[in-house]
Amino acid sequence: MVARPAELAVQAAARSRPARPKRRILETAAWYAILLWIGAVTVLPFAWMLLTSLKGPEDPIFSVPPQFLPAHPTLDNYARVLDTLPVLSFFRNSIIVSVAVTVLSVLVTSLAAYPLAKMRFRGRDLIFYLLLGTLIVPVQLTYIPSFVLAVNVFHYDDTLFALIFPNLASAFNIFLLRQAFKAVPNDLIEAARIDGAREIRIWWSVLLPIVRPSLAAVAIFTFVTSWNDFLWPSLMLNTREGMTLPVGLAALQGLFSSDFRSIAAGVTMTIVPILIFFVAFQRQFVRGLAGAVKG
Amino acid sequence: MTTTRSLTPYLFLVPAVLLIGVFVLYPIVSVVYYSFTDYDISTPPVWVGLENYQQLLGDDTFWLALSHSIVYLLVTPILIVLSIGLAIIVNRRLRGIHVFRALYYIPAVSGSIAIGISWRWLFDTNGLINSFLISLGILDQPIQWLSEPAAVLPIAMLLTIWAGVGYYSVIFLAGLQNISEDLYDAARIDGCSDVQKHRHVSVPGLRPQIVFVAVISSLAALKVFDEIYVLTNKTGGILDSGTTIVFYLWEQAFRLTHAGYASAIAIVLLAITLVFSVVNIRLLDRRAEAD
Repeated sequence: MVARPAELAVQAAARSRPARPKRRILETAAWYAILLWIGAVTVLPFAWMLLTSLKGPEDPIFSVPPQFLPAHPTLDNYARVLDTLPVLSFFRNSIIVSVAVTVLSVLVTSLAAYPLAKMRFRGRDLIFYLLLGTLIVPVQLTYIPSFVLAVNVFHYDDTLFALIFPNLASAFNIFLLRQAFKAVPNDLIEAARIDGAREIRIWWSVLLPIVRPSLAAVAIFTFVTSWNDFLWPSLMLNTREGMTLPVGLAALQGLFSSDFRSIAAGVTMTIVPILIFFVAFQRQFVRGLAGAVKG
Repeated sequence: MTTTRSLTPYLFLVPAVLLIGVFVLYPIVSVVYYSFTDYDISTPPVWVGLENYQQLLGDDTFWLALSHSIVYLLVTPILIVLSIGLAIIVNRRLRGIHVFRALYYIPAVSGSIAIGISWRWLFDTNGLINSFLISLGILDQPIQWLSEPAAVLPIAMLLTIWAGVGYYSVIFLAGLQNISEDLYDAARIDGCSDVQKHRHVSVPGLRPQIVFVAVISSLAALKVFDEIYVLTNKTGGILDSGTTIVFYLWEQAFRLTHAGYASAIAIVLLAITLVFSVVNIRLLDRRAEAD
């Protein structure tokens, strides 16, 4: 049977027109259901922390079935944590360390990345592979000698300096910035040289502005890593006022051992600022991560 | 580019090389030295030759910790599969999809201590997990999950997976978006179903990302510490049920001040990491050949 094209078209339209939108709506709904379900699994521990931190003494922590919403919401738990522990000092210390590490690390690693990407000199490959090799070394391996150095040589244990200096020369950052510099056309650098610019000037006013997105990605990852760093800071910091947030939070867990409402308040207080930071810089996070694999 | 004889390139490198020398290279050399000594950090090290290594061979806790770290590596394939799955799910044009992508990334930035504490309470006797399981009739009585030796390591691994999927899926999503639409069209014309399409186009196209995530996540798994520290309340768990190699290193070095012995553990960790890196480099090479 041979149908005329027009007839076929009409038949096809009749078959698909009512069906397709309906199917598509169902499909979309199913995708949203999956997305929401994964979202719930992701958010559940955080939501439970937040809601528990608002629970009063009469609200049960444990009940069958679980009770999420506090019947008598209160901020007392936050007040108790703030009274017992210098949480504001924790914040201040974390900000000092993370900002210092981020700014200095971007400077140090972008300085090192320039000659590795754009100059030819004796020993370049050796230095580059030596740096690359340190990527493999687990950082925990260095903690015993670094501890000895901190206590016996630099005498900066229990100060924030101990958290800043060992974390500045990240080989990973050098590697990423070297990739970024390599993509800058040589003509631009040559033109600046002909104009009589010195190398440090070229680095600062030609290269750095061009690779700004990579700098932003490196800076953000360095900041978050430094902000969340725990093991090394916990070895260095003893005085309560001098602690960073993760170290203080671990201390809080010991101090309030079974007072879950207060612990939940402490956890919530430490997560909120980094979440705000994340929301503000979300796009750079994604771009940075995506770029890391291209090299 | 011509080879310069000037000092300029070296001057640019001075800060970084100095810092890496002091805080990475010098420590590696000293940790090798310490591993042949009896050292408690406060008094000078005393040379003991291979004694620490001999002691390691007969140390059951060390072997247990090592086996736990090897078991922990199971998170890597699980993370790869789940992250690719999540990347495929969020790789579609839907209203508000960016909000979901950001949402899934939250555990990656929240900090292992904060997350670890919330998980410790999730699995507490009075925790949400018990509430749920009793409500559903699966349990009669609450269980203190983290006091069950068999449960500690799986819970820590589950935590690592939960916290990592959103992070790694961003990497895979970027990879998926680089795969040409034409390849999917070709697959559809060849009669591939949706699932087959991902098996034959997405997965081969994501090979660089898979290698990258395999390297990063397995190195992270070998180094796991924070999760164990918080979940077991600094103890490593009943009967060392959660003790991993880095946790054991920390315990020996900084709780028991057996820094010499801990340095020998560190050398074993380095050796394992090197073996892993060689395997990974081989994989990378094979990819380069295939290209």
